[in-house]
Formats: sequence, C-alpha cells, structure tokens
Amino acid sequence: MKKKLVSMMLLLAMTLTACGNGGENTSADSKAGEVEETASVEEVSSETAPAKEVELNIMMSFPQYMDQWEDYCDQFEAKMLAEENVKVTINLEMPSADQYDSILQARLTGDDTPDLFTIQANNIQTYANAGYLTDLTNEESIAKVYDNVKETVTVDGKVMGVPIESTAWSVLYNKQMFEDAGITPPETLDELKAVCVALQEKGYTPFMLAFQEQWVPQLMTAVTLGGKTTGDIPDWLERMYKDEASYEEVREIFDVINLIMENGTKRAMEEGSEVGAADFANGAAAMFVQGTWSANTIMTTNPDMQLGVFALPVNNNPECTRINLATSTVLGVYANGLEKEVAIKFANYVLDDNDSSALFQACGFNPISSIHAFETASWVQDAYKYVEEGRSYQDLVLPSSVTDEQGRLLQELYVGSVDIDGIIERLDGAFKEANELSK
Amino acid sequence: MQSKRKQNFSLIMFALPALVVYAVFKLYPAVTGIFYSMTNWNGLSKEYDFIGLKNFREMLSDDYFWQSVIFTIKYVVVLLVIANVMALVLAVTVESVKKGKGFFRTIFCLPNMISMIIGGYMWRFIFYKVLYYMADNWGWKFLDQSWVGDTRYAFLSIIIVASWGCVGYLMIIYMAGLQGVPTHLLEAAELDGANGWKKFWNVTFPLIQPALTVCLFWTLNSSFQVFDVIYSLTGGGPGRATQSVAVNIYEEAFRGNIRYGYATAKSTVLFLIILIITAIQLKTTQSKEEEL
Repeated sequence: MKKKLVSMMLLLAMTLTACGNGGENTSADSKAGEVEETASVEEVSSETAPAKEVELNIMMSFPQYMDQWEDYCDQFEAKMLAEENVKVTINLEMPSADQYDSILQARLTGDDTPDLFTIQANNIQTYANAGYLTDLTNEESIAKVYDNVKETVTVDGKVMGVPIESTAWSVLYNKQMFEDAGITPPETLDELKAVCVALQEKGYTPFMLAFQEQWVPQLMTAVTLGGKTTGDIPDWLERMYKDEASYEEVREIFDVINLIMENGTKRAMEEGSEVGAADFANGAAAMFVQGTWSANTIMTTNPDMQLGVFALPVNNNPECTRINLATSTVLGVYANGLEKEVAIKFANYVLDDNDSSALFQACGFNPISSIHAFETASWVQDAYKYVEEGRSYQDLVLPSSVTDEQGRLLQELYVGSVDIDGIIERLDGAFKEANELSK
Repeated sequence: MQSKRKQNFSLIMFALPALVVYAVFKLYPAVTGIFYSMTNWNGLSKEYDFIGLKNFREMLSDDYFWQSVIFTIKYVVVLLVIANVMALVLAVTVESVKKGKGFFRTIFCLPNMISMIIGGYMWRFIFYKVLYYMADNWGWKFLDQSWVGDTRYAFLSIIIVASWGCVGYLMIIYMAGLQGVPTHLLEAAELDGANGWKKFWNVTFPLIQPALTVCLFWTLNSSFQVFDVIYSLTGGGPGRATQSVAVNIYEEAFRGNIRYGYATAKSTVLFLIILIITAIQLKTTQSKEEEL
C-alpha cells in the first residue's frame, strides 16, 4: 500500500516536471524559429554589408498594452535595419504592475539591468541618485515635450527619462445619472453635499468605494492634498520635507473624505480596483475617485457609459478645486548599458514624429508633445479643460512610504480602527521617518 | 567497519544533489543575510554602510513589527491545532473506508498541488463574490460579513484557506503513520475489550508519534513563514491588521522606504524565533517518542 502511494506520488511529480520542461522547450523552439526567419529576411535585404547585431532588453509595466508595444518594437527594429543597417533584437518584458517594482529592483541589484525600463515618476530622484539613469536633456525627443510635462520628469535641472503616461484626473462621474438628477459637477464642498443628496433622492449611490487595494483609497488623499495645498498653503509640502509642517494643517481634507465614505457603496474592502471600475460602469454609483487610466475597463464593460471628469472640491474655496496633472510612468535609459546608443535611439523613437501618435492613441495615453495630434476621449477633454484654465496642480511627490501609509490608514478609517487624530499622528511620524532615512 | 563507511559514503552521495541545492539557495543567502542585516543597504544603490546592530535596536521599538509577530503567533497556534486535528480525523476516516480510499486520498490532497497564491486568489473570488451572491440571492444572511474589512472574519478566512491548503499534505503523512501500526496490536486490544476510541487513543495514537512529530514540525515551520495566503487574500489589510512577519518584511524591503538591510535584520530575527521554537518542539516530541 505504502509503496503504491509513494510510486504514485513520484509518478505525478515526474509528469509535472516533464510538462514544465515540455512547455519551455516548445517556446524556446518557436523563438529560435522566429530568429532564423528574421535572419533570412535580413540576408536578402542587406546584401552590401553585414548588419551589425544589437540586442536590447526592455522592461515595461504595461502588460495591458503588450500588443501595441510589441508592434512598436517591431517597427523600431525595421527602421533601424533600413536606416542604419543595424539588426536590433528587442526582448520586451511586461511584468504585472503590482510586482513590477520588486522585479526591477531584483534585476538592478543582480546586475541584470534592462537597457530601458519604465519607472514611476515619483521614483525618478531615487533612481537618478543611485546612478541608474541616463541624462536625456539634450535629446531631440525631449525638446518636443510640453514644458509642464517636462517639469514632471526633471531632477536637478536634468531630464532623466521620457515621459510616457501623463494624466489629468480627479473624480470620474456618470453623466447620465447627473443629468437624470438635474445636477452639474460641484465646485465647492457644499455643492458636493447637495449633489450627494440629489443623487440619493433619485435612488443612486453617490460614490463608488473600492478599497481592497491600498492605492485606490490613497487616491482620495492625493487629490485632496493637492487641491488644498495648491490653493491655500503652497509651501506645505516643502515644509513637510524640512520637518516643519504637520498634517494638522490639512485636517480639512478629511471632511470630504468622510463625506465620500458616508455616501459610498457597501463592502468596499472586498472590492478590488478592476471590479470597482466594472461595477461603476454598470451603474453601481454615480462618482468614483479614480484616474482616467481605468477608463479602458469602464468603457469595455459598458460601451454606452457617458463618462465625465470633474475636480474634487476640498472645501468651499473654489481655488482649491483642482485637477491633478501627473506623469505616472517614465521610460529611463540604463546609464551603464552595453547598447546605450541604440537604447537612446529607442527612447527617442518613442516620441517619433511619424509613429508616436499612433502608439499613444492605441494605448490611450494622453498627448504629451506637440507631435501628438489626435482626438482624445471626451473625459480626457473634460479633465484637460481644467488644465487649460490653469486649474491644475503638479502631482505632489510624497515619499512612497507616506503614500503607502495613507492607503493603509484610509482602509483603517473605513473599518473604524483609527480616527482622524490617529491618522494625523501616524502620517506625521511616517513623513519624519522618511525624511530621516533619506538624509 | 569498511562496509559501514562505504554505506555512509553512498548515503551522502544520494543526498548530495539536495544538499548542494540547499547550500546554494538556502544556506548561503541565510549567512550573507546576517551580514546585510547589519547594513543600511536600500537595495538599489551600490554603496552602503556597515552600521552594526543599529537595525536590531530599532526593531525593539518597531510597533508594526511586534504587532505582526503577535499576529503570526496567533495564526501559528490556531492553524497548528485546526490543521493537525482535521488532518488526523481525515486520515483515520479515509483509512477506515472500505471502498474508494484512493479516490478520497486524491481529492483531499489536491489543494496541496496548487500553489497557495493561486489558491488564495481562487478563494478571494469565493469570499468576495460567491458568498455575497448567496447572501443576496438565497437569503443566507450569515454570509454577509466583511470578509476583509472585519479583522475577525479576515483571520477566519485566512485560517480556512490555509488549512484547506495544507490538510491534504498532513493527511498523507498521518496515513503513512497509520499504515505502520501493526494490526496484531489492534486485534489484541480488541480482544481485551477496548472500544473504537480507546483503541485509537491508547494504541494507534502513541504509535503514530513519529508522524505527529513530522507534521507538527512542518506546520510550525511553514506557518511561521506564512506569506502567500495572506498576501493574496487580504494583502495584510485592513491597514496592517492581518500582517504576518513575512508580509511585514516584504513591505519593508520592497515598498515604502525600501530598506533591504532593515528587512534582512527582521528576517534574521524571524529565523531565530523559528529555530528556537522548532528546536524545543523537536526535543519534546522526540523524547516522547523515545519513551515508547
């Protein structure tokens, strides 16, 4: 009996490993096939001189746009072969966004750094200081970037990466429901309260809450802090970095956060960001504090959705009601890469005069340069209207530990295990600790 | 003597591949980890300073870390009891059925074949969608709980998923133990008039002590390092309410302030805790085995 059991388990283990190996082999084979194919094509096209071979490793955090970027890499390979007789082979990797940072860090420390990699704009300073990024200030592509976007990727006067994803965002809302309730986007906190009442009278839940992933509740602090400080206390963040300010000064932001939580959907802790976006699209609530990056999910779920964007009011000072303008993802060139020259060419190609527009449009990225001449979606236009009116603010760059802590604390506030005083104390503490560590 | 040495040599040769893997992927990182735990390395920059025991001193006043230690101990105790009792009950039951033993054994062992991170995501769907569906549509209101938002229910769901994952594995070990119990002893006990429970408690249970030792050791060791279930199910939330030590270490190393050095110091402490507790456990259960 025992023997039978053991042999059964062994057999199972063997089949499992065999399957694993089999899978790998086939993928390797097909890759080898591809390479041969391209090689034979190249033989025909470049009879004069043998093409120089270059291998580029690129890692990006957009698994949802894998196809678009793969096509773009193919275009780059073709362009390099045709124009410069360089045969580029690009290995494109797209780890999922929530594990991206840890994978990148492991690669950096393991001396296996990709030639190009995307990073969060908030982390540019850290990566630049550690010496991983190439200065791109004088590259042709950077010259084409809008000035207010260029600012978001500048460290100590040097542009350290190509901005890719730039968004203007605050609150998404369902235009149909607003029309139904006879209301327009609010400009002040009192108006927002009135909006909540009007929506509830019509039987709509005002706010969509999806708090399972900490970054989603964190968005509430991001927009309220940005509006409040830009409108009322512009030097707050600067003083925070010098340990001279406190969250006590921005206590007001919790008025609107409480209002959102009181008027939100149930079971927020069990709702992930994607599910939340889908539920919002299906009419679970009228407003959702979420960036326009989730528009893709929303419009796929409900193509008839009339999606709009308005700036979240913080108090009754309309000066504080502003939209967040942020560059979230930046493409950096590894400073010590073997093929740095080609890597920089790829970075420039991302903002190519002829091809870039199509890529940005296909991925739903917002225009960041004058070369991007394409019609944007209506909700993007909503948001950029605020930007044109000068009612935007540059995304606040907080230490990432403080950003994380805000997300956690808002979860705790929602389940009732912490009060506003506790939040202020712990956020001040987290900020001090981050300041201490960055010295 | 000669043959004995030869035998030892061949034994070592058999164990060598495993030993090499163990040394390269476990022992070496563990030893270098002790060095890194005395640095302020942030995982990114190529330079870092040796700061001695400063990380360990800081840990003493790190409330979040100790909270996670307490949570982990609670988790270990509850899982240890629940998983082992359930595994033993299952093993005895499956062992005693006449037909379809192989079928039940396979069924109960299946969850163990799935990576716990995948199992966690599967269960997340059950907790967040299926249970609410049943609560809303079938009127099973007792299921309408905040499975992540309420710490008690979050803990319960973690325990459910974790025991679902490991009970099958423990059951196999117990079954192997049960099959080693000589039938003549059981028959003798029966002749002496022992009933089912007495037979189990006085004859079978003492004889499966070795299996118990292995199972307790395994649950202690693995549940102290629990990460995947919690990470996939609650992410340590709400806030830090369900953060185990391993999740706390992960967050310290890969998120927020990115402090590899400090995180390594924490894992060194976790290593010591596990070492001490499993050593005590092995000593006591082994001495019990010897009594027999």
